[in-house]
Amino acid sequence: MTWLPLCLMLAVACLYYVFYLPGRLFLGPEKTRAGYLRERKDAVYENLRDLNFEYKAGKVPDVDYTSLKSSLQDEAATILAEIDRLEKNPAPASRRARI
Amino acid sequence: MAEIGSFALLLALALSVYSFLAGIIALAFQKRTSSQLVGVTAGTSGIAASGEESSLITTLRQASERIGETARRAGIATFAAVLLASVVLVICAFRDDFSIAYILHHSNRDLPGPYKFAVLWSGQEGSLLFWSLLLAAYGFVLRLRYKTDPRLFAYASVVLSGVQIFFLLLLNFAAHPFAIVQGTIPADGNGLNPLLQYPEMVIHPPMLYLGYVGFTIPFAFALGALIMKYPGEKWINITRRWTMVTWAFLTCGVFLGAHWAYSVLGWGGYWGWDPVENASLMPWLTGTAFLHSVMMQEKRGMLKMWNMWLVFATFWLAILGTFLTRSGIISSVHAFAQSSIGDWFAWFLAITLIVFVFFFFKNKSHLRSEHKLESLVSRESSFLFNNLLFVLLCFTVLWGTWFPKISELVQGNKVTVGAPFYNRVAIPVALLLLILTAVGPLLAWRKTSLESLKRNFMWPTVGAVAVAVFLLITPQNWGSPFGLKPWQDISYFYSLMAIALSVLVTLTVASEFYRGGRVISKHTGQGMFASMVQLTHRNTRRYGGYIVHFGVVVVIIGFAGAAFNQDKEMEMGYGDKMTIGPYTLICRSYTDDDAPNYASEWAVLDVYKGGKQIDTMTPVRRFYKASRQTSTMPDIRSTLNEDLYLVFEGLNQDNGHPILKAHLNALVMWIWMGVWIMLIGTVLALIPNAPAPVRVPAPARLETARTAPVVTGD
Amino acid sequence: MSIRRNLLSKRGARSGKAFQAVVVSAVVFVLLGAGDPATRFSEIGHQMMCICGCNQILLECNHVGCPASDGMRNELMASLTRGDSDSLVEQGFVQKYGPTVLAAPTTKGFDRAAYIMPFAALILGFGLIVLVIRSWKNRPAPAIADGLSPVRGAELQQFRDQARKETDL
Repeated sequence: MTWLPLCLMLAVACLYYVFYLPGRLFLGPEKTRAGYLRERKDAVYENLRDLNFEYKAGKVPDVDYTSLKSSLQDEAATILAEIDRLEKNPAPASRRARI
Repeated sequence: MAEIGSFALLLALALSVYSFLAGIIALAFQKRTSSQLVGVTAGTSGIAASGEESSLITTLRQASERIGETARRAGIATFAAVLLASVVLVICAFRDDFSIAYILHHSNRDLPGPYKFAVLWSGQEGSLLFWSLLLAAYGFVLRLRYKTDPRLFAYASVVLSGVQIFFLLLLNFAAHPFAIVQGTIPADGNGLNPLLQYPEMVIHPPMLYLGYVGFTIPFAFALGALIMKYPGEKWINITRRWTMVTWAFLTCGVFLGAHWAYSVLGWGGYWGWDPVENASLMPWLTGTAFLHSVMMQEKRGMLKMWNMWLVFATFWLAILGTFLTRSGIISSVHAFAQSSIGDWFAWFLAITLIVFVFFFFKNKSHLRSEHKLESLVSRESSFLFNNLLFVLLCFTVLWGTWFPKISELVQGNKVTVGAPFYNRVAIPVALLLLILTAVGPLLAWRKTSLESLKRNFMWPTVGAVAVAVFLLITPQNWGSPFGLKPWQDISYFYSLMAIALSVLVTLTVASEFYRGGRVISKHTGQGMFASMVQLTHRNTRRYGGYIVHFGVVVVIIGFAGAAFNQDKEMEMGYGDKMTIGPYTLICRSYTDDDAPNYASEWAVLDVYKGGKQIDTMTPVRRFYKASRQTSTMPDIRSTLNEDLYLVFEGLNQDNGHPILKAHLNALVMWIWMGVWIMLIGTVLALIPNAPAPVRVPAPARLETARTAPVVTGD
Repeated sequence: MSIRRNLLSKRGARSGKAFQAVVVSAVVFVLLGAGDPATRFSEIGHQMMCICGCNQILLECNHVGCPASDGMRNELMASLTRGDSDSLVEQGFVQKYGPTVLAAPTTKGFDRAAYIMPFAALILGFGLIVLVIRSWKNRPAPAIADGLSPVRGAELQQFRDQARKETDL
């Protein structure tokens, strides 16, 4: 029967670990619309860099390069403008729910 | 001891149930209170919320956050409990505690130490415990890393707990690893299956299981992201490494299995299209498709729904694989005990399907994407075809595996679906896939003009055609792939195609490195090699991926060698001669021996090539005493060109002469080399990208300055 | 893989006669060239299964003392020497051992579905993808999603420049 106290100790240790929560919890930052837009901007930027690189490596002809680059830059500009707007006038909390 | 193990399993079940339920409660409350809080603070609820109400909501929210934290910790504690149960089982194996039925049936006193450790995954109950342990370990790491994105991780943790509950229920109520032997306890155990007493068997199952279990993680994240309507594609970024690591484990597991079959089973082959082998191949195929198509979502926000299904299918197929192995529903040579746990798996498969389909249709609108494609010829469309072919291969394997069952239902009789079927159906699809592997990397994202494709494709094509012509015109006596006459046999045609396409892929991969290196070299003035290294370091996933592609073609060349295999069987007395291919074998002696765990018989053969003795080989056959089973230990002499594979088949009872079978297997070594290259490529792809020198003039805004590495895209 | 095959093999049990027949047939088919009974033996023998339960291709079944494969190989050799056609040989085997003796479904009756299905799926999938790509291509350029309003004029230029600077190689 040596196993009984061992099992009890194990159970108590688990309960202690699970339910004893001193101090503050880490909740992380709430994801804001600006944060989300920054992620999107990063993706568009990566696509732009990729395009530049493929152009330099000779995989994209001039005509395609110009048109693709222009449309990507438009997309980036729109996102940048929105980030800019959000940072100038911080969004009301309600926007969070609509990211 | 057994009591501690049983208790640990019960405790683990209780903890994971708590983790699951508390996790759900916490997330449900957080969702509700956060929308109420938003309503309160923004004053949009229409009713002016009182301060009291607001503070109540805040208190509730804090309480739910604390419950969420206990759920996370319970998940971590589950790992500790399952680990304890596994350790107890291993200790029992080492202590030869045959009062535990599982140890009695899978171990014996004279079993060498490492195999006693492997007892953990050698039988049904133990391997389910091992599944559960690995799942708990993955969950442990995931829950420790929750700070990356606490809410997303909380959702993933709930999904993981759900899967964990299933396995722990099985362990506690259907396949208990600590069940006690009734009546008198035998003095020695029944021993481990001799086929499993091979060094690779100690690592093959853990690798395969790490791969199977690991796909639960991307699935948990995907389902979590779907349920919470995760904004954006960042979750893919977070799970990318998990997926790649899991894929590497599965790759390793599948090929270790093949290598084990090759080195132990003694029939000269490495893949027999057995249902259980197929079961491991299917999630690998969909997982590989997912690794590719996920890039579409990351870069372009496309294929969100498809990826959701793909990651679910991979997880589901991994469980289906386990179901196939355990339930005995499809006859397989992997003779695991047939038992009632098949029903449990069937239920679990049904429930996960229902849960997934429910949330998919509930939140489908969240997955809509509106991207436009500029051209039919683009990287995007190549990924679509890539996915089609991978999924089709998976479908073919699934179809072939289930066809005997379907045939029985439709026409009343079973049929066999063996290697000839798969060779006829899967090889053409695999060759198409190889073409795509060559073309895909040459296509630019969004749009590629045919002109530039032609330009980039010309030299690799010329190279591939040149190699094919070379193989056609060279004399046959040069060795295996030379002097290939594709009109003689369809398998020669496939081999020639496979080798030529492999060369094509290699050359396109090389040209990608060369072109990228040239750009960097121009910018930095470095030499070509240093530039290529820098190129790889700047975008490890892309160039690591290319190295994986290169590894794949090396493996394919190895497969292509199968068309040239030869074999010969002979009874050989002292001094008898056998000639196979360029080798002559002379039997020098044969004898037997006795060890505590097994008795063995073997022959000693001198190997001559071109009149010179080059080696001595000793194929062995063992008789394991505890399990009363025999097993062959082929002797294999590997070279780049071919393997000489000798099997000691037995003794002729009339005259006591050994019967030997010799196989000459062409290019097999390439397969194992290719796998190493694939793994090296995957490891490279896991290394974080090096930041390139930043050429951006100091920007005004802090946020924009944050990101400026010159990346080279995917 | 053939776990059961090895499990079934009994230590050293083997009939010498049956073995000699196999050796003879093996030697015969190694020595002879294409188009002869030896090649046909190898071809047809690779299209059949050993029926002892080892789930092995007949000519790859290697376990000593197999109760089935030696006899089956001899039968196959005998009917080839008799000059039976491929289909006659196969028919004979199916009649004697049941349809599971063939290593792959036949190309008759419902068995054809085994081969048709994957290729039908390939064609269907291919067509579907072409349709999807075409519909994506013909899509009107999407308004940038997520409630973003396009910017114009000087502001557009300013942000475009910023994007260009930050992404130029």
